[in-house]
Amino acid sequence: MAMRQTPLTCSGHTRPVVDLAFSGITPYGYFLISACKDGKPMLRQGDTGDWIGTFLGHKGAVWGATLNKEATKAATAAADFTAKVWDAVTGDEVLTLAHKHIVKSVNFTQDSNYLLTGGNDKVLRIYDLSKPEADPQEIAGHTSAIKKALWCNNDQQILSAADDKTIRLWDKNTQEAVHTLSFDASVTSMEYIPDGEIVVITYGRTIGFYNAHSLDLIKTVDAPASIHSASLHPEKDFFVAGGDDFKLYKYDYTTKEEMESYKGHFGPIHTVRFSPDGELYASGSEDGTLRLWQTAVGKTYGLWKCVLPEELSSENSEVLYCPPAEIKA
Amino acid sequence: MCVLFKQISMKTPVSVLRLPRGPDPNSRGFDPNSPRFIALCPTTLSSSSSSGAVDEEEQRLRSDLRERFLRTLLLMTDKQVEFNMHEKVRVRARFGASDIDVLNFQVSGLETPLGVQKEALLRCQDVISCSFEL
Repeated sequence: MAMRQTPLTCSGHTRPVVDLAFSGITPYGYFLISACKDGKPMLRQGDTGDWIGTFLGHKGAVWGATLNKEATKAATAAADFTAKVWDAVTGDEVLTLAHKHIVKSVNFTQDSNYLLTGGNDKVLRIYDLSKPEADPQEIAGHTSAIKKALWCNNDQQILSAADDKTIRLWDKNTQEAVHTLSFDASVTSMEYIPDGEIVVITYGRTIGFYNAHSLDLIKTVDAPASIHSASLHPEKDFFVAGGDDFKLYKYDYTTKEEMESYKGHFGPIHTVRFSPDGELYASGSEDGTLRLWQTAVGKTYGLWKCVLPEELSSENSEVLYCPPAEIKA
Repeated sequence: MCVLFKQISMKTPVSVLRLPRGPDPNSRGFDPNSPRFIALCPTTLSSSSSSGAVDEEEQRLRSDLRERFLRTLLLMTDKQVEFNMHEKVRVRARFGASDIDVLNFQVSGLETPLGVQKEALLRCQDVISCSFEL
């Protein structure tokens, strides 16, 4: 029986949501952090979207946010020229790392000991979190603002995407650029999939998949509208993408066919990510909301409940909320 | 002539148990009674460790400072206070109260360059200092 997707809307932010990240799977489930232009990044329970807490302290728009694997630490990058590290259990600010310009991206290594930052001053910085007072290791090379910087290949290399329309793969030790990819359009997003060594890159209306070691192209898919972010499912059977036309697209990764498109957001989609178990994906939009979408529509998971037709009309139904049928133009 | 049809979706929407819980307007969250918090947060007072005495002294000083801060807020109530804020903003108002996390100050008669605001909330993160006559 075909079912219609019911997205779960997480409200609370008052300005556009520009970045989001999931933690790994922990004994307490998995978590989601959202970066917002209102300066107040929020932590939520990953499978329900329930708000857990807000990290207070930044004095400007937060452009990037990330969690470590265990969801014990969070890091944020902001327009107030700082990156901050937080205790993700208590919500307390642990470290403020001053930069010389807007910070756009933050990323922990797998062991949570190092933090990579990148931003408008065009320099990649690596902070040793056990020696926060020490100067960070700096890697220069990009000729304009860095949008995203990620650890990859066992934290031995760094992938960075900048407004100079290049993506560079750096060796952490030699600080040299090992590979460079040039594009005609600005790169809008980048995601690294460690298991499978794939990098997902979006630019213009294209979603591109590349080998994370060689930066060789695997395949590209073109969407109907300009895409701001895409994410590949952990089992690599689907990927989702969203952008300017407010819709979320779901594609079959193997055949490149568009499977579904979902309306729901009231503004362009800035960021989209699959959960670590692949059961849902979250999208953040200009409309200030985060929405959670099921990968397998109709399955019982998190707050979604699979209800058989007989149960829907039964008086004993425990379902509390059933969205009204909508007229689809 | 072209006729447009509106197609009514016959698919049943997936049911949900409830909507995701939103932020608590009165607090920044991170519930200390949640199982994760209790399991992962070490207590600040440890009387069995060798540095126990130092910790106790630090805790006592922290308590003193906190108590002084709270008493200052109480003394400020209904007084004319001058607030020194970011961007070289200086305003005067009658202080009403603070919220529990000291995120906002409720004030009345806020004197601003645009006129006097009868009731207002000042964002504490914007306040650098404030002064008042005892």
